[in-house]
Formats: sequence, C-alpha cells, structure tokens
Amino acid sequence: MNTLTVGARCLELDKDGYLVDLNDWSVDVANALAAAEGLALTPAHWEILELLRGFYAEFQLSPATRPLIKYTALKLGPEKGNSLHLNKLFNGTPAKLAAKLAGLPRPTNCL
Amino acid sequence: MSKSLLVISRQAPWSGPSAREALDIVLAGGAFDLPIGLLFMDDGVFQLASDQNARAVQQKDLGANLQALELFGIDDVFACNHSLEVRGLNAPASAQGLGSDAIAHLLDRYDQVITL
Amino acid sequence: MSTLHVLSHSPFTDSRLDSCLRICGAEDAILLCGDGAYGLQNAALQGKGVKVFVLAEDSQARNLPLPDWADSVDYPGFVQLCVDYDKVNTWL
Repeated sequence: MNTLTVGARCLELDKDGYLVDLNDWSVDVANALAAAEGLALTPAHWEILELLRGFYAEFQLSPATRPLIKYTALKLGPEKGNSLHLNKLFNGTPAKLAAKLAGLPRPTNCL
Repeated sequence: MSKSLLVISRQAPWSGPSAREALDIVLAGGAFDLPIGLLFMDDGVFQLASDQNARAVQQKDLGANLQALELFGIDDVFACNHSLEVRGLNAPASAQGLGSDAIAHLLDRYDQVITL
Repeated sequence: MSTLHVLSHSPFTDSRLDSCLRICGAEDAILLCGDGAYGLQNAALQGKGVKVFVLAEDSQARNLPLPDWADSVDYPGFVQLCVDYDKVNTWL
C-alpha cells in the first residue's frame, strides 16, 4: 500500500499516488505530495489548485485537460487559461498532476 | 474527421449504472474533441430534475456533473418533449426540448448512436 | 441516413419499442431478437410502415407465427442488415 507521511500522520494513497480519502487534504499534504513529485509549490501553483478545488465543489468531478484549460481561462483569464502556462506549472500533465496535488480523484476521462 | 456520436440516455439516475455510464461516454468523447450529442429520453429525463439529493443514496452528484458538460465541449444537449410531458416535468434550461420528428432527424445527423 | 434499431426486450413489460417507434425515421428498420421477438404479437408494430425483422431462432424458440408485415432473418442475415443500414442503434 502507498502511503504519505505528513508530520505525525500517515495517509493512504492509491496506486497512482492520489489521496484515497479526499478529506485528508490540507496545505501541508499538498506540499508533501508536490515534494514527492519534485515540485515546490509557488503562488502560481496555488492559484490553480484552489481553482481545481472550486471546480470539484461545483461539478463533483476532476476535469480532463481541455475543460481545465477552459475553466481556468474563464476564471483567471486567457493568459493563465492556456496549455503552455498549465503545462509549465505541472510538468506537462496538468490535469493529472494538479488534481493529485489538489487532493481530487484522478480525472476519470483523462486516459 | 472523427465520427460524430449521439448518446441516448434513457434510464433514471439512481437505480443503476446506466445514467452514469452514458455521462462517462459523453465526457470521455468530449475530452477527445469528438462531435458529440446527448439526448435524454424516457426515464432519462428524470436526470434533469432539479434539486435532487445524491447523498441521500450515497451516490455522486450526477446533476452537478451534468452542469460541467459545456466545459467539456458538449453543447448539443437535448431532451425528449414527450418524455418530459408524460412525467410532468418542465423543459430544463440545460437541454433543448425536441419533438418526436425532430428526434428522428437528430438520429440522421450523427454517424453513430449509443442507447443506454 | 438509415438506422437499424435492435430491440431485445419484451414490449409488454418495457417501453423501448414504444419509444423506438416514436422516433423511427422513414428509412429505418427494427430488428427483434431475444424477448424482443414478442413484438410480433404486439399490435403497436402493425401498420406503422416501418420495416420489421425478427431473428428466426428467437421467434422459433417462442413458437411465434411470422406475420405478413415482418421478415425472418438468420444470423448471417442479421449481419447483412447491420452492413446495409448506415448505423445500428441497440436499445440496451
């Protein structure tokens, strides 16, 4: 079983490294998940993670890449809602990696 | 040019997996930029009823998912007028109501049809 | 564009046939198989002007007489129909 240790807590991850229990998520957990991916979260990252959590709260699903770009453009403007910006922030796989760091399930429609 | 697909969703939302599966096909198709249409008919129109409570039956909120269709590039969402009428439902804002003849023409417009 | 509608549920317990007939286009046809073959006993199909086929083994198994408004096909005939029509819509 995959686990992630954050402070004194030991959290369960699925085989792809996503949180099993979405309620386990916190800012510290996001930082630990990012560190495991070799990523240091900046305000530009956080902006997208918060957006994703908003998306999930509204639609109850994790977006695939195209809807993520569309939603980001809608909420933050086209200079952030484009594949270049999102790919740069999230190692080329924004839908999968950003969902993981935001504590959402793996996007089901993103093969 | 990819083939266009019409998905006909005709099962009620909470009693089985069909409604969810129809939506998953549509969302996956949208993610791949397929020209895709979604038609609710028969008990499928119950998916469009407002203020349902998925948590009461420990399920995911299909209604919330349906609101994401536009972001997934699915603009062609239809509902069968006859099915709505006999169930006492009003035409929802999120789907375009169609009569039976219009639905027959709709089938003609798509290369493939999946009915769940 | 023509559609072959495939129905495998009894029309006496299920609304698929009614719904199918409501949206059937002039070029379309219906293939009855499984319990859908009981559609041969259903007045709804008569005089609709829509082409009706039934899978022979399913009508034979149920001892359903073939009315003059329907045609019987075997499995190779079923496959040929799927090729002849532009698309197949299976009412799952």
